[in-house]
Amino acid sequence: MINVLIVVTNYLFSSFGLAIIVLTIVIRGLMLKLTLKQLHATKAMQELQPKLTELQKKHGKDKQRMAQEQMRLYKETGISPAGCVLPMLVQMPIWIALYQSIMLALAVTPEGLLNLSQYLYSWPVVYSMLPLESQFLWLDLAVPDKTLILALLVGGTMWVQQKMVMPRTADPKQQAQSRMMLWLMPLMFGFFCLSFPSGLALYWAISNIISIGMQYFVTGWGGLVKPAAERRAIRDKKYRRRIAQVEEVSSVEADVGADIVVADSTQEEGLAHEKLGDERKDRGGGYPERLRAIRRQPRRSKGHRPKRR
Amino acid sequence: MWFKRIFINLPPLGRSFIKLPVVSYLFKHKPILGKTLLLLVMLLVIMSGLTGLGCIRGLQPIGWSGGVVADGTLFVGSKEGRLVVVNIAAGSRQWSESLKMPQSGGFGCAPAYGSGCAAPAGVAIYGTPAVAGDLVYIGGYNGRIYAFNSSSLGIRWVYPRENYLKPIISGPMVMLDKVYFSTSDGKVYALDAVTGDEEWEFQAGDKVWSTPAGNGSTVYITSFDNKLYALDAESGRKEWEFKAQGALASTALVYGNTVYIGSMDRYLYAVDADDGSQKWKFMGESWFWATPVAYDNVIYAPCLDGKVYILDAKSGGEVADAIDLGSPVSSSPILVDDKVIIASQQGVVYALDTASNQINTLADIGKDIYGPLCASDGIVYIHTQDFTIHPVDADTGAKLATISLKSSE
Repeated sequence: MINVLIVVTNYLFSSFGLAIIVLTIVIRGLMLKLTLKQLHATKAMQELQPKLTELQKKHGKDKQRMAQEQMRLYKETGISPAGCVLPMLVQMPIWIALYQSIMLALAVTPEGLLNLSQYLYSWPVVYSMLPLESQFLWLDLAVPDKTLILALLVGGTMWVQQKMVMPRTADPKQQAQSRMMLWLMPLMFGFFCLSFPSGLALYWAISNIISIGMQYFVTGWGGLVKPAAERRAIRDKKYRRRIAQVEEVSSVEADVGADIVVADSTQEEGLAHEKLGDERKDRGGGYPERLRAIRRQPRRSKGHRPKRR
Repeated sequence: MWFKRIFINLPPLGRSFIKLPVVSYLFKHKPILGKTLLLLVMLLVIMSGLTGLGCIRGLQPIGWSGGVVADGTLFVGSKEGRLVVVNIAAGSRQWSESLKMPQSGGFGCAPAYGSGCAAPAGVAIYGTPAVAGDLVYIGGYNGRIYAFNSSSLGIRWVYPRENYLKPIISGPMVMLDKVYFSTSDGKVYALDAVTGDEEWEFQAGDKVWSTPAGNGSTVYITSFDNKLYALDAESGRKEWEFKAQGALASTALVYGNTVYIGSMDRYLYAVDADDGSQKWKFMGESWFWATPVAYDNVIYAPCLDGKVYILDAKSGGEVADAIDLGSPVSSSPILVDDKVIIASQQGVVYALDTASNQINTLADIGKDIYGPLCASDGIVYIHTQDFTIHPVDADTGAKLATISLKSSE
């Protein structure tokens, strides 16, 4: 793979940075089928999660029964838990090979360059290209990026990716575990970016972006957007809070109105229309008129788009 | 419980880890903290595994300084980042103070070196020290060159005095009361040998890793920009340049009126020392990394393809068949009497008889050898990657008592 990387660099204006990007995209493309298989299996497992939690509640103490029931559920739904892991395991050697190739090709130290010579084919283009040009955009690919941009990019993309695949669960322990993973991995990789050559960080960033794209086409934004039921619950909660506030204000105003004589009666709420408050009709919904407008305009956000199937 | 599930699935090592009282307490009472700890340990294990497997090997500069013998004393740069002085007769050793690392980064990861997480043992030293008068000169990967008093090992001067240059891979070369060396940002410096004041500097097109080679009044420098530069030793003015097809990392050999340079395009070039014109070139199967040796109009050029090529110095034709050593040779060979002593990376030392062009195994050290060889009074001193000097008798191949370069031993 290292020789391919060098040849690709030759055809991409001698830019090793571009070669890393292109080769990462090509390899991800070649393994698309396996990745999709894994993503679909993961998605199916996530959808099965509520049933599994139910089973755990039901047979949590009887482990044997629990295992039997789990197996039955997997059989019924046609899901294999190995489907999530196997494609990933198959891809692992390829990732390691690509990772090693980038590290070797960068040849940061004299030992690295000497080591690189042992992996080269006798293609003339390979020998004429070495050592590779390590400048790419603002980066020297052989040393860590001191601007923090790449560290933030790697950490950010990893967070988004983790958030997208984060399983939804009602179990607070699992939620805490997921939250920890959500932050720990991006922070660690962000930290690695400050110590490792930026060529490697570039590979991580590109790989994460591709993963986000693939994840989006399979499961949508996943954990990045809240589920519809949760969104409704939050909205209702907000409405209730506002109604309570308004009602509180109204009751205070009513109390005040009883004690104070208002000189200009049109200042009072509702009297601008020359109607008494108790004569107003409730048009449904149970909300005061001024809140209905809010209710009629549902919030639009990017996360509101229908999920792709 | 979730931690029990982990416990069942973990290998025995992990189980012992969880059994530790502190960890066990954490898992029971602070599960989130416990999990974080477990994850961190797993990541550390993976990272060290990757390092061990060679996944990120080559990130750390380690060094492979050769030695130089003067007045019965061996001077060599150790992998601890110190100049070591060995009295050969008495067997006593003396260490200089450690070369200082630049304080430009955090995280204890030596980011100035573009390295990974494990900090090196000390400043890497690649160049062979140079001795002139009562001073010994040595350059470090920290981007500084030092002049030590050869007997007391006190620092006479350091250049630059305040800051640090880019990493120095080259060794110093002393000629005309000046010290010449190069840095990995492509600069060549000439300093006053006594005071350390800068006399001149020259900028090449790319990195310069090779030690300058001198021939009377000219300094020859090879660079990663594929060029060999001939510079006036007094002024630093460029006299001529020669362009090869590949990067030049090895130090040039000046023999007669010809400069011989090994290239990463797999060619060994012979260049006219007067005008920089190419005399001939010879193709190997890999890079010519080590500096060749010349004797009696024959060039002995070891190559990273594991072969030693025996070439006519004038025509570049093969005088004898190439000798296959079965392991790459990155260590520059040395001439002892009429024998060329060559060491392969795998740690086997050979003696090539220049009369018959026959090669014999002299000794099997069994340790990696990258640094150039040095010899004195028929003894070859080999600096292996395990912090040790292995003296070997060039005639008999007898292995003499090894010399540890570790300051703690």
